[in-house]
Amino acid sequence: MRRLIPRSRWGVVLALLWLALLLYPFASDDLFYQNMIILSLIFAIGATGLNIISGYGGYVSLGQSAFLGIGAYTVGLMSVRVDASPFVWVPLAGVVGALFAMGLGLVAMRTRGHAFVIITIAFLLLTQLVLLNWPSFTKGSSGLSLPLAQWDPAYQNWPFYYSLAALLAASVLLSWWIRRTKLGMGLVAMREDEDKAATVGISTPTYKMLGFVASAVPLSMAGGVYAYYLNFIDPRGMFDIVISVQIILSVLLGGRGTLWGPVLGAFIIEPLNEFANQSLGGGNSRLLIFGGLMALVVLFMPQGIVPAVGGWLERRRRRGEDAIVGARLESPLVMAEREAPVGHEVSAGRTLLEVKGLEKRFGGVRAVDDCSFAVPEGSITALIGPNGSGKTTVFNLIDGTMRPRGGEVWFDGRRIDGLRPWRRAHLGLGRTFQITRLFREMSVLENVVAPLRSFSWRQLNAGAVSGAERERAEELLEFVGMARYRDQPAKALSYGQQKLVELAQVLMLDPKLVLLDEPAGGINPTAIERMGEMIRELNRRGTTFLIVEHNMPFVLGLCDPVLVLARGTCICEGPPEVVHRDPRVLDAYLGEDYVHEEAVRA
Amino acid sequence: MTEFLQTIILGLLIGGVYALLASGLTLIFGVMNVINVAHGAFLILAAFVAYSLWTATGLDPLLSIAVTTPAMFAFGWLLYGGTIRRIRTAGPASSVLLTFALALVFEGVMGLVWGNTSHAIRPAYFNESFAIGDLFLPKAQVYGCLVAVGVLIGLYVFLARTWTGRAIRAAAVNPYGAALVGVNVAAVATMTFAIGVATTGAGGSIVGVLYPFLPGSHYQWISRLLGIIVLGGMGSLPGAVVGALLIGVGETLTTTYISPAWTTAVPYVVIFVVLLCRPQGLLGARLREDVAV
Repeated sequence: MRRLIPRSRWGVVLALLWLALLLYPFASDDLFYQNMIILSLIFAIGATGLNIISGYGGYVSLGQSAFLGIGAYTVGLMSVRVDASPFVWVPLAGVVGALFAMGLGLVAMRTRGHAFVIITIAFLLLTQLVLLNWPSFTKGSSGLSLPLAQWDPAYQNWPFYYSLAALLAASVLLSWWIRRTKLGMGLVAMREDEDKAATVGISTPTYKMLGFVASAVPLSMAGGVYAYYLNFIDPRGMFDIVISVQIILSVLLGGRGTLWGPVLGAFIIEPLNEFANQSLGGGNSRLLIFGGLMALVVLFMPQGIVPAVGGWLERRRRRGEDAIVGARLESPLVMAEREAPVGHEVSAGRTLLEVKGLEKRFGGVRAVDDCSFAVPEGSITALIGPNGSGKTTVFNLIDGTMRPRGGEVWFDGRRIDGLRPWRRAHLGLGRTFQITRLFREMSVLENVVAPLRSFSWRQLNAGAVSGAERERAEELLEFVGMARYRDQPAKALSYGQQKLVELAQVLMLDPKLVLLDEPAGGINPTAIERMGEMIRELNRRGTTFLIVEHNMPFVLGLCDPVLVLARGTCICEGPPEVVHRDPRVLDAYLGEDYVHEEAVRA
Repeated sequence: MTEFLQTIILGLLIGGVYALLASGLTLIFGVMNVINVAHGAFLILAAFVAYSLWTATGLDPLLSIAVTTPAMFAFGWLLYGGTIRRIRTAGPASSVLLTFALALVFEGVMGLVWGNTSHAIRPAYFNESFAIGDLFLPKAQVYGCLVAVGVLIGLYVFLARTWTGRAIRAAAVNPYGAALVGVNVAAVATMTFAIGVATTGAGGSIVGVLYPFLPGSHYQWISRLLGIIVLGGMGSLPGAVVGALLIGVGETLTTTYISPAWTTAVPYVVIFVVLLCRPQGLLGARLREDVAV
């Protein structure tokens, strides 16, 4: 899907279809079919746009048709006031659409999932209501009449037809460009796991906002052309939620997240719409057809036509090949000889991370309560404590996934507790999760390339998987011993393999400090040994670690100093052999269990 | 002053009805994490059923809830088993799109069966009022509110006192935990959906008396109900009651002091403001999101 036009026979088919589309008005003057194609183009523009935010970014909107109406009303309101060809106002329609998309983006900054869908419904219906209730400006429900087309009737609807075809071409190009750049990669990462995306340095609000604007502008411009084409617009017809449904249905049917799927879907849905209107009397049967079709697609073909066909062809092609997943891991000895591809200058004795009086409550539960500790630069520090003592919450407060109720976090000489997670990642703070959180639909290599060490506008335009970053990602995969799996989707990996890829992923940030949440949890002894080797090697090259772990032999053999957390506060710290014997620790945590375990072993 | 008092009281009366309507929606969301966008369509469907019963037999719509409620319960049960059960674990997009698709289908069905014209159920007491001093309270609104509150109390007692009710609440708080202590979470989900839809049986009858309705009215109703549960905190039953009363009063105040044309804007504005300023709503606790899951 990286290529705009696939280099197979599908590419030839696509090119022929485009040619047929461009030549059709010369071949036939049947206005019924011209009209059908014009409306299909509008749906295709809408669907291609919606796909950017829904297919790539994972934000489903039921209010997308609002942008059609906003564009139509921009052109309509201008052309009844200024005597000029309504085409002049089409770019303005794009600008107004962009402004509304930003407004929606601002409101949606803190919402996702269900709340976001609700917002989009409210957005559509509220915009419609405002236009209805403001007759002095919009003529309310009686609608607006636009000037008639000025050109020679012999040209029929050609100017509409070709301007919409050009808009569709631009939309597809935009969608293609987004998908192959860092912007698209960030959107897909957000779809897979938005909080995780933030912790690997992706500035999610910026990405979200750009996605919204890109999804709204082409449809707003198409709405402007549409208004001129219709010559008459009213709020009920222009802000129709059924149009939103048809746009969504085009995306779903064709295949969300694909480049050409939404276009294919639109050219299926619009003719069906004409059929429902012409042969079945529209109205109720249109609702039954589109409601029924959407239910069927969601239930039985959620991935859509293009991925379904593509998957089927791929399976046919691959028949008989061996699966790579499940192959033997490389031995840890080979691994240990490899040099870690990251490194830092370390000044021994300096404090890299300091937490002062940190506090976090969940309702009445004090998960973290006046917690203070420091992590010396160049160390492998352990953070241990009984279950529920607040270790993971401390991690969440350090990396910014959660906001503390009080206290301070200092990192590398800066106070960071007010910064958003991606800013902390940019400063060199990496973090893995207790239960791995890879971007499941992305390949292993894409997962490792996804993290960003900084934010810049130019970077958005960079190829998603390219250049020096790609090489580095391959080095890191080599280092963790996962290079063979680079093209597998992350979801196909075993849990232990996911732990390794997640480690490579945070290393991509070139972090000064890595927070590891149970790196040895749930993986086999060989892999644990290997994990220890890698942490030592990385540490030797200058990376500082803070590790939460329950595997005591692992912690005590690897870490110095050891911090002990109990009831949300740091009760003790020191070298492992001291902490090991500290009565407070034995009491709080290592306590009876540990003594018992030792006794059994002895 | 009388006008103000009158406005507030009418708002509370209608808010009581809204509370019943929103309770089913918030219950389904709380237990299943599914926003049933078809809730408004079910409500209008129940109103049409009550209308047909009323025109055919003269049965008072507020009494016919004895028929419509179990009918809607069975309807919800079947619909859940046939459609929504299949996408329970598929994420918010699927469930929203599926229930929205169902809303469109039932809008079309209602249009074919009853026509796309405005209907109204007008029992004999429709134009009568109770007069208390300077205030007058339309009987239909008073009866409607009383019935709604009665059904709501019944629902509350069911959830608080019966084993099934406790199982529903347990599944809402923690489905895995509930499954571990022997609750059949799949069966509870079916039950919850059916109960949620059953509330539209009583709700539809009341709505049919208080408002004219047509198949397309469901958009307005679902928007209002979404506004209520967003305001109260999605998934919270007490939140739905508080949200319903506030939106009811907000609407009557808008009608009296601004313009009836802007009344429908109230829930939309509430949705924007709440999700912008306090996404968890008034009574929805922002629970500990286990970042590890």
